Amino acid sequence: MAEKIKISTKKVNVFYGDKKALENINLEIPEKKVTSLIGPSGCGKSTFIRCLNRMNDTIDICRIEGKIIIDNEDIYSKEIDPVLLRAKVGMVFQKPNPFPKSIFENVAYGPRIHGLAKSDDELDELVTQSLVKAGLFQEIKDRIHEPGTSLSGGQQQRLCIARTIAISPQIILMDEPCSALDPIATAVIEELIDELAKNFTIVIVTHSMQQAARVSQQTAFFHMGNLIEVGRTDQIFSTPSQKKTQDYITGKIG
Amino acid sequence: MTNNLDRVELSLVGRKRSERLFKFYGFLGILIAFLFLITILYSVISQGQKAFFTTFIKVNIFFDSEIIDPQNQRNDEDIRYANFNKIITESLKKKFPENLNKNDSKELSSFISSSEADYLSEFVVKNKDYIGKYKNMWLLASSNIDVIVKNPEMEDLDEEDRLISNKQLGWLNQIRLNNELKKELNKNFFTKADSTEPEQAGIWGSLVGSFLTLLITLVLSFPVAVAAGVFLEELAPKNKFTEFLEVNINNLAAVPSIIYGLLGLAIFLNIMHLPRSAPIVGGMVLALMTLPTIIIATRSSLKSVPPSIREAAIGLGATRFQSVVDHVLPLAIPGIMTGTIIGMSRALGESAPLLMIGMVAFIVDVPTTFLDSSTALPVQIYLWKSTAARGFVELTAAGVIVLLVFLILMNGLAVFIRQKFEKKW
Repeated sequence: MAEKIKISTKKVNVFYGDKKALENINLEIPEKKVTSLIGPSGCGKSTFIRCLNRMNDTIDICRIEGKIIIDNEDIYSKEIDPVLLRAKVGMVFQKPNPFPKSIFENVAYGPRIHGLAKSDDELDELVTQSLVKAGLFQEIKDRIHEPGTSLSGGQQQRLCIARTIAISPQIILMDEPCSALDPIATAVIEELIDELAKNFTIVIVTHSMQQAARVSQQTAFFHMGNLIEVGRTDQIFSTPSQKKTQDYITGKIG
Repeated sequence: MTNNLDRVELSLVGRKRSERLFKFYGFLGILIAFLFLITILYSVISQGQKAFFTTFIKVNIFFDSEIIDPQNQRNDEDIRYANFNKIITESLKKKFPENLNKNDSKELSSFISSSEADYLSEFVVKNKDYIGKYKNMWLLASSNIDVIVKNPEMEDLDEEDRLISNKQLGWLNQIRLNNELKKELNKNFFTKADSTEPEQAGIWGSLVGSFLTLLITLVLSFPVAVAAGVFLEELAPKNKFTEFLEVNINNLAAVPSIIYGLLGLAIFLNIMHLPRSAPIVGGMVLALMTLPTIIIATRSSLKSVPPSIREAAIGLGATRFQSVVDHVLPLAIPGIMTGTIIGMSRALGESAPLLMIGMVAFIVDVPTTFLDSSTALPVQIYLWKSTAARGFVELTAAGVIVLLVFLILMNGLAVFIRQKFEKKW
């Protein structure tokens, strides 16, 4: 089956001030699949994922060269409004960061600012559906108006996912979403990622190679700001073509 | 290993000792501060509470028709011009059957406050039936009598050091023996503005003046400062110009307040020709002074909001402005309120800039609008302190008490607002 390419990057260089963080990244990300980015700390994988929804715009010293194309549009061209882009490319962060508001308000915020629900009933329905899709609804349906920060770490992260789903993005970026969670909560999130991949294109940064192996269909290995190797996940972990990849997945570098 | 542990144990003695020493110094510091606080409060309250009460003397007033209305016409204007001081003096004289000479009656007339003649004339205009009749009335004592009654130890002073003569003291004691002396709440103090006579002077005028001034200060400085702080911290590009602004704002917070007064004088009075001594100008000057304080507090409390909250909002497609207004600013409100409390408290206690724009005048009317001439609490305290009459000593201390109570109420309100916004989650 031929895969449709959702995101492709061409000769992307990223600089923080004078320091080059990413060099010549050419990567294609297939639609409605999970692509995981692995690599040692400081290799630039988080920087890369933050380029995909122009989150790096908020950092003054960050400068980007090259092209990042989503659906045949260069997202760094002048016609693209980053605010609009972020409604299409949602993001889940490393540390669960719910707003200090109720669970309902957390999920309702996105649809509200984008005017996605015409009535209160519609908004209620949208919030409920998002919580259901994030696998959180059953656990919290009785306390939907309690503070989002009163949930456990894993629940908070799923709340953040629900919040992202609520604005119906096409792509969800996840920046080490399980690094602050225990193994049980991690397993729940991984199951959720499998489920979400039916409808969304997912790019996930992870420190855990096991996680990459479990959840993703495509894996890209970053090292020192370079994209070393990209390919089907099973192939990367069984027969990597590059020595560096081999060294990393066998624990020789990291 | 053992060797190592021994060394650690040895060093522990010194480490523990310096901790104990630090605790001791800290405790000592608190203790000294506490003692100073107690001393200040004691001296202010023990002096000031005396001004909350004032002395009245019971006099059986004879509304002599010969003095009030010799032609028997019952004309309001004529009654108002009648010599009610004489009525008071003549009525007082009846308390003391011994023969009094002219000098004595002058000394006797100084027992009663000068405001009471007006009070009696108004009373008669409204109750003309009393003309030619007697009525027992409590009249406000003059300040000198009031001071002696409140400070009995002054009776032992020599005649020339005392506020009243030996003869007056004798009469006073006689009045006291007859139970014709009472202390009552000092209504003048709580309802009137300044006066040359201590027993008629009140704090209300300057309290209203301070309130109107601070209202202007808050309305002008709070929104502008918060907007400026949000803009500089969240929205403005970080470049040389904003850096320059930041340094200047930080410096402005430390500029002596009298400079702001000079600025107000030059711009608001001399160029814009706003009214002198008015709360609106005072408020504008104090707003200038308060702006940097609130801007700095706003910026630092915005800075302390975790960046993850901003990222969360921006990641959802909120604009920069939405992320600030919807999420960051509510979390920063407690810190902003703290800065506002500090700024407003300083503005309330400030007198120097107000001197420059003429809010130091002697003003006997309670201001009713922002354009009326007025003083402010600290200026009123300063004015009373620099007045010679002995009766103002207690008023000065009482003014300080009122200033402190005003400050506590204002800060209490701000703390209440802050806690309403403070989210425990």
